[in-house]
Amino acid sequence: MCGVNGIFAYHSASGPPSEVELIATRDAMRARGPDGAGGWWSGDRRCGLGHRRLSILDLSDRASQPMISDDGRLVVVFNGEIYNYPALRRELEAGGVRFRTTSDTEVLLHLYACHGAEMVHRLRGMFAFAIWEETRRGLFLARDPYGIKPLYTANDGWTFRFASQVKALLAGGAVSRDPEPAGVVGFHLFGSVPEPFTLYREIRSLPAGHTQWVDAAGPREPKPFANLAGILAAGARNPAPASELNMRVRTAVLDSVGAHLLADVEVGAFLSAGMDSGALLGLMRDAGQREIRAITLAFDEFDGTDEDEAPLAARIAERYGAQHIVRRVSEGEFRDDLPAILEAMDQPSIDGVNTWFTAKAAKEAGLKVAISGLGGDELLAGYPSFVDVPRWYRHFGPLALVPGLGRLTRSLIEAIAPAQARARPKMLGLLEYAGTWPGAYLLRRGLFLPHELDQIMDPDLAREGLRRLKPLRRLATSIAPDPGSDTGRVCALESAHYLRNQLLRDADWAGMAHSIEIRAPLVDITLLRSLAPVIGGLVAGTGKAALANAPTVPLPAEIMSRAKTGFGVPTAAWMNAIAGAAGLTVGNLPETKGLASRQWSRVAFAGRPIEPRELRAA
Amino acid sequence: MMSDAPDILALVSDAFGGRGGIAQYNRDLLGALADARPNGTKVQSITVLPRHAPDQAIPPAGIQQLPPHPGRLAYALMALAVALSRRADLIFCGHLHMAPLAALIARLKGADLVIQTHGIEAWPPPPRLQRMALEAADLVLCVSRFTRARVLDWAAIAPERVLVLPNTVAEAFTPGGAASLRAQLGLEGKHVLLTVGRMDSRERYKGQDRVIAALPRLVAKGYDVVYVVAGDGDDVDRLQRLAADTGVAERVRFIGPIAPERLVEFYRLADLFVMPSTEEGFGIAFLEAMASGVPALGLNVAGARDALADSELGIAVAEPDFAAALSQALEKPKPAGHALATAVRARFGREHFALGAERALHRLLANVA
Repeated sequence: MCGVNGIFAYHSASGPPSEVELIATRDAMRARGPDGAGGWWSGDRRCGLGHRRLSILDLSDRASQPMISDDGRLVVVFNGEIYNYPALRRELEAGGVRFRTTSDTEVLLHLYACHGAEMVHRLRGMFAFAIWEETRRGLFLARDPYGIKPLYTANDGWTFRFASQVKALLAGGAVSRDPEPAGVVGFHLFGSVPEPFTLYREIRSLPAGHTQWVDAAGPREPKPFANLAGILAAGARNPAPASELNMRVRTAVLDSVGAHLLADVEVGAFLSAGMDSGALLGLMRDAGQREIRAITLAFDEFDGTDEDEAPLAARIAERYGAQHIVRRVSEGEFRDDLPAILEAMDQPSIDGVNTWFTAKAAKEAGLKVAISGLGGDELLAGYPSFVDVPRWYRHFGPLALVPGLGRLTRSLIEAIAPAQARARPKMLGLLEYAGTWPGAYLLRRGLFLPHELDQIMDPDLAREGLRRLKPLRRLATSIAPDPGSDTGRVCALESAHYLRNQLLRDADWAGMAHSIEIRAPLVDITLLRSLAPVIGGLVAGTGKAALANAPTVPLPAEIMSRAKTGFGVPTAAWMNAIAGAAGLTVGNLPETKGLASRQWSRVAFAGRPIEPRELRAA
Repeated sequence: MMSDAPDILALVSDAFGGRGGIAQYNRDLLGALADARPNGTKVQSITVLPRHAPDQAIPPAGIQQLPPHPGRLAYALMALAVALSRRADLIFCGHLHMAPLAALIARLKGADLVIQTHGIEAWPPPPRLQRMALEAADLVLCVSRFTRARVLDWAAIAPERVLVLPNTVAEAFTPGGAASLRAQLGLEGKHVLLTVGRMDSRERYKGQDRVIAALPRLVAKGYDVVYVVAGDGDDVDRLQRLAADTGVAERVRFIGPIAPERLVEFYRLADLFVMPSTEEGFGIAFLEAMASGVPALGLNVAGARDALADSELGIAVAEPDFAAALSQALEKPKPAGHALATAVRARFGREHFALGAERALHRLLANVA
């Protein structure tokens, strides 16, 4: 993990960018890259690039960035890891290219020199980078297909800026803080800010799987180069028999884990008592790593109860011969860390607190890199949404297509049973939203539903935000082309929204805050291509079972049965307590967790603990 | 589908034979498009349909201007008739008010749509049809970063499609002596402040009243200052009364409108061009003054920030700091006019404007490829 930034005064009317701004933006990302900092200016000083380094591959100074090609024509700043770097290097060397470092950064320079923008198709990994091309006097930007690494841009019409973080762009002092209603509304709908929007009109995310070119004619519209739905659709056209599931999962996940172990520093693991992280630990052994340190969070609240993950995680660690580190976290520590958590949160999020503490523990253990089970539920149909969304779509969809029926029913229930309506706000939306896949998904994942926004924000802001965000149309684009199966559709929706905008962003800011690079072998485009032919055929539990059985030594059977019911995580209650302390109480209804998230969202949005009267005023 | 050598239909309020800043911008832009070689090939044809053309004027080669149609309905019918009777790959819409008509024609012809925005007309959210028309545009050109930001406030359009193509300054504005005009006006030995701009009682944003209010302080500091106010409008009487009430009537000269060909002499006359305006779409007068070698002072508000280049060319201050900045500006010796003029052209010269127009056109052509 590193931090990248740049300023390009592309317009003739623009003055040369300021060194002070370049450094202010770069050094706002100090935690992303504590091992070094670099800067570079083009000869005419119209373009400046900055980099903060967390050294993981080739720890020497020759691999520091910005890195300039031998002929001086290309300059790169790069955040991420290219896992197929050794193969790419061999191929380039066979073609006569000479390398001067052993870093994956250098491969980007040579690949771009050989293939231009098409080079992105060759990359396996997580990446966000910018390459200055001296001959064409332009900037080329790219971001990985899943959107693991962040890249934000700002264009005021004269000058183009980019950075790994929204807050870093703001720290430069030259970017407008005018609000973006689509970002504000998106956060309240989903609990995270959906790309390409941010909370600020001028700052956009370069969408995942896109490239962008900027030259004197201004930034061009981002161009897609990878599409998760397209990969799933291709898989559905050539389905593999269910009998191949276990073999395919084992081969492909082992391959991905092996690729994700590429590092010149120790690679550790985040270990819960769930199947994903446990299986990955087993596959790390299979991939040949002998010494593994695995980190598990434990909470005082659950000490001695069967909600405590630590004992089961210890069994997994023991089975795979890993050194197990159990890190205890108390509510007091959460309260102490809260201001730092809110500060580190680049954009507001209703989650990420667990990752914060896991990364904190990894840092305390002296790690820089850790493997995470992130993405397993999206890839292998582990979430309840894989059951709920198709079911709602089929059961309630036909009724939802009757014009006006959904709204009428909602109004009736609100009038007749207001308490029920308040306690189960989403149930009210069933007949309104379940008629389409995007609607049914919004219903499943939504924090608030569109019709509720007027209650929590200025109605004009809500209307304008919805108009700009177009949430249902945006969701619909993530299942085009049609992934060809119910599981494929939910996989695409979950991967392109919840995973991308929530989980991966949380992993980035929470990991980054502790200078920990989180690697997710289950979030990998090569893996998705390998498994796409079997994803359509997954039924409840089969995908995760295949993963649990993937290591040569399978996960203990008790893990597989226990993991199905899940474990308690007290952070939701802590967040609730913060909101509760602010004068709100939450009932004991089944949706308590959802309602707590709603209140926590107010804290995250404000970026600080908020006063009771502020909450009541809303 | 746009061909390599596109035929352009321009729907404008006024261009050739028109008066004022928008007509000037349209002439500059259409002229630049006529000369552009975005792909090495020339634009096939440019047909201009204006609503107004009070003066006689002959467009440059490659541009045909049709007779004006001032009535809205007559104009719309004429535009449709023209569009349907000839090839058009690109519809250029010179004013947001005409955007719905231009969008309709672009749709009918399967042509690309480019909409120009200037200033205040594009700042508040427009009526729905105008907004939707703009959101359908392939490119939107704005004269300043401020206008662009306001457009992006209300329009759900990819920000990459919204470009800044700032006003340019005519070649006629160059530094030079002004001794004879000074003598003629009896201004020898005086500190001369100048504003050029309309004084419209409905707008009142150019800020002449701010300058008048600041004069007593300058006089008290010992400056023998004269404020020359050029331009006309129905707000002149009020400003004259203000000057009298402020006790500086003899130091404020309202000289009325100046013929365009004589403007440069009046700019050269000034020690400081001052226009504390709050609603400039861009502020072309700042550029003209600085290209004539005269330093310029304005507010860092709206488009004026661009013309003053964030204080890198002129001086752009916050409104409360204006009076102090005016006083400070007079304390400094008048800078070398040629250096300032060169710096202005390096950012806003005609060749940059022409390149900007050509690049915008090239982007549309490249989208086809």
